[in-house]
This record gives sequence, C-alpha cells and structure tokens, in this order.
Amino acid sequence: MKLLLNLISLPGIEHTHSRLYASAYKFLTMCGCVCVYFRGSHHKVEDACEMYARAANMFKMAKNWTAAGNAFCQGARLHMQLQNKLDSATSFVDAGNAYKKADPQEAINCLNAAIDIYTDMGRFTIAAKHHITIAEVYESELVDIEKAIAHYEQAADYYKGEESNSSANKCLLKVGHYSAQLEQYPKAIEIYEQVATNTMDNPLLKYNAKEYFFKASLCHFIVDELNAKLAIEKYEEMFPAFADSRECKLLKKLLDAHEEQNCEAFTEAVKEFDSISRLDQWLTTMLLRIKKTIQGDAGDLK
Amino acid sequence: MSSDFEAYEQDFGTLTAEITNKIGRIPKLGGKEKTQLVLNVDKQLEEVRELMEQMDLEVREIPIQSRGMYQSRLKSYKGEMEKLEKDFKRSRIAYSDDVRNELLGEDAGSSESQRAHLLDNTEKLERSSRRLEAGYQIAVETEQVGQEILANLHSDREKIQRSRDRNHPEPSPGLRPRRHHPPHHHSGHLFQCARALISPNALTHTHSVSHTHTHKTRTRMINSDKSVCSGVIRTNGAHESLFLGPDRGLSL
Repeated sequence: MKLLLNLISLPGIEHTHSRLYASAYKFLTMCGCVCVYFRGSHHKVEDACEMYARAANMFKMAKNWTAAGNAFCQGARLHMQLQNKLDSATSFVDAGNAYKKADPQEAINCLNAAIDIYTDMGRFTIAAKHHITIAEVYESELVDIEKAIAHYEQAADYYKGEESNSSANKCLLKVGHYSAQLEQYPKAIEIYEQVATNTMDNPLLKYNAKEYFFKASLCHFIVDELNAKLAIEKYEEMFPAFADSRECKLLKKLLDAHEEQNCEAFTEAVKEFDSISRLDQWLTTMLLRIKKTIQGDAGDLK
Repeated sequence: MSSDFEAYEQDFGTLTAEITNKIGRIPKLGGKEKTQLVLNVDKQLEEVRELMEQMDLEVREIPIQSRGMYQSRLKSYKGEMEKLEKDFKRSRIAYSDDVRNELLGEDAGSSESQRAHLLDNTEKLERSSRRLEAGYQIAVETEQVGQEILANLHSDREKIQRSRDRNHPEPSPGLRPRRHHPPHHHSGHLFQCARALISPNALTHTHSVSHTHTHKTRTRMINSDKSVCSGVIRTNGAHESLFLGPDRGLSL
C-alpha cells in the first residue's frame, strides 16, 4: 500500500496544468479502487481519505472547483465512516469552499452537512459561522433573501447561546436589514430596538446606538406616523444622546413635513442630510417609501 | 437807532459772507497761505463778535414794545456766528481731498475699489464656509469609521476573552488537574498541545508565540492514535476555540 502511495505521489510533483489534472484523476480512480478493495479495513480507508484530500488539493491548484469539491465530499464521507467527525466536518467545509466558486447549491449542501456535524458535537460557534457563510451565499449568488434571513437568525441564536453578544448583534442587524427590505416591519422594529438597548450602555458601542434608534424610528414611520412620534419620544427618554444627533433632527423635520403633507419640505430635509453624510441604499429605500406615503395621501385627498 | 442797527446788520452780512468764503478755501491751501488765511478769518470773527455786542446794546436802547423783532433777528445772527466758528475750527483740522488723493494715488474709482473690496470679502467668507462644511463632512465620516472600529474591537475582545477563559479556566479546588498536561504546565503559559490535538495532519502549522513558552506536548500525544485524540476532543470541547477553521492564523 505504501508503495502504491509513493508511486502515485510521483506525478504530483509535476507542475503543469494538464498533468496535474491527469494525475488528480489517477488519484481519484485509485481512491475508488482502494475503497472497493479495502472497504472496512481501518488503515486503508484512512489512506483513501488522505488520497482524496491530496487529489482535491491538486484539483484546486488546477482550478477545477467542482472536481475539488467532489473529492473533498468523498473524503468527508469516508471520514464519517471512520467516525472521524472533526475531519469529516473540515472536509465538508473545504468542499463547501471549493463549490462556492462553481456551484452554490452544492456548496450549501456541503456546508449544511458540516453544520450538522458541528452542532452534533456541540460546537455552536463554528456552526454559527458557517450559517453566516451560507447566508452570504444566499445573499449574493442565489438571491434568496428569505433563506438568508433564516440562516442569519439561526446564527444569531447560536451566538447568543455562546454569549458572543457582538457577533449575535451583527447577525441580528442583518436580519433586521433584510426584514425591513421585505416589509416585515414589526420584526425589524423589534430587532433594532433590542440591539439598540443592548448597545447603548456599552461604552464601546454606544456611538452605534443612535444609528439603530434611527433605523427603528424609520420603520415605525413607514407603518404609522403616530407610532414614529411616540417611538422617538421614548428613545429620547431612554438615550438622551439620541436627541442631539442629526438623525433625530432629520426625523423631526420629516414628521413635520409628513403632517403638513409637504413633499418639498420632505425632500429638502433629506437633501440637507444627504449633503453631509451620504444616505446608503437601505436608508434611501425606506425614505422613498415614506415619501410615497406622503404623495399617496395627497393623492387620496383629491 | 434802528438805522444803526440796520447798518450793523449789513456789516454783519458782508463779514459772514467773507468768512464763509475763506473757510471754504482754507483746507485746500497749505503752509504759509493757510496760516495767513487763518489769521484773517480770526480777525474777521473778532469783528463779527464786536458787531454782535453793539447790536445787543442797540436793541436794549429800543423801547420794549418794538424790541421783539430785533431780538429774534439778533438770535439768528448769533446762531450763524456760532456755526461759522465751528466751521472754522473744523476747516483748520480737516484735510483737503485733493491733497489726500495726491498722497494716496489715483482716486479715479474710489467707489469702485470699495465695491471690489466688499466682493472680495464675501468671496472669502463663502470659501471659508465651504471649507467648514467639508471639514464637518469629514468629521462625520471619521465618526462612522470609528464606530465600525469600536464594534470590531468589541467582538474581538469577546473572542479573546472566551478563548482565554477556555484555555485557563478559573481553578476550582475540587477539580483534578487534567491528566494530559504534565504538572509543570501552569497557567500563564500558553501551550500548543491543543493544536497538536486537533490538527494531527497539519504538521506544517508551527505557531510560535513570541515570548511565552510553548510547551509542545506532541511527544505526549500519540498522533496516530486517533481514539485518544477524539476521546480528548470530546472531553475538552473547550479547545475548539483554538480550532478556528479557516482562521488558523490566530495565535494567542
């Protein structure tokens, strides 16, 4: 068996693309043979795993991501057979990373498998991290915001369980961000309020708190103007620094403009704020929705 | 009597006219001529004062019934005289415009230059306000960057605290020391035995902590004996914190 390994390792020294390819395929077939012949034998399966890993690395060098992912997956399954949970999980993660560049859905499957193993072992921090990776894939490549939200929520729960509050907050913020975009306002409001109250006492994080209050107030605003007013008063009471911020001043101006159904004043106030600190995409969307309600109301009056 | 008064009035009129004339000329002249003219005007003012006194006496001699008219005239003459005196004083110290212009160059557009000056000022003010605004924007951006940095620091701090707590749990009297750590290991030293535990294949990972001892307990660990490894992994779930997956670069 060792001889076989040595023989096989020789082609690995080649550096040219196609040769790597060819040698990697040779590896795979060898691994397949090894599995068939020596199934059940402890050492041989280990060697097979190792060979799968090496093959996968060579595929990575050759930039054949699907093949690399495949090889890692195989290796992971063999590890599971050996009850090597940790190695199996790492192989699944490597597979996921390789697939990310080629086939996002496969990547998600592999990562899910890895997460199952980790949660089984009780290592929630790492599981949470992989949930975030999956959510990011859903965000960017397979644009499926609902699933992304679900994964972020899961990650936040795990982080909360492990008492990593700032990582949990990061995930929660993303959840809030996307829920508001999908018009799930009550959820978004709750999340933002929660995060803001948590951070306002912490000296490191209190400068962020006003931003979160601002976002929560905007969500209130979209739902109903009166809610927004009450909410702003409540926040000012809770967190006096919020009252001084430019965001609060903007909110008050917007409330006034909304009451008077004055579109120009609204636009004026928004422009003024934008001239100092640019509004990002989320804020622009929310403000546009609020503006539409003003125009909508004006239309109804006619 | 009244004819005397009228004669006095006429004299008064001529004198005042002359004085005004001379007062007008005084600022434009300089040096000797000026002093001469000043002396002249002085003399004439004296004469005017004497006239005023005589007119006064005349008026007193007039019977009371017809005094009123003359008195009012007298008052107006007095006022005129005071005005002349004031003008005289001012003219002595006032500069003439011509002389000043000669000193300070072409006076062709004095109003023009003032206007340009004012425009210049406004422009400077606008420039300063623009720069202040830009400065404010930068300050706000800096604040945002600072916020992000603080949030990152906070999360890093949590991670580090967690890892530290897991590696060096607070010693409680009841627990036995872990068997796989030789007795000379004590808290305060970071060791890499955990790394050996977790990545038996990763022989290439050599993380050396700078100044603290790294007790490599690989000799104690039987790398190939996976059952021991996995067994220890199960009991020491705490060491997961060192196993950071892709972030293998964390060295505590």
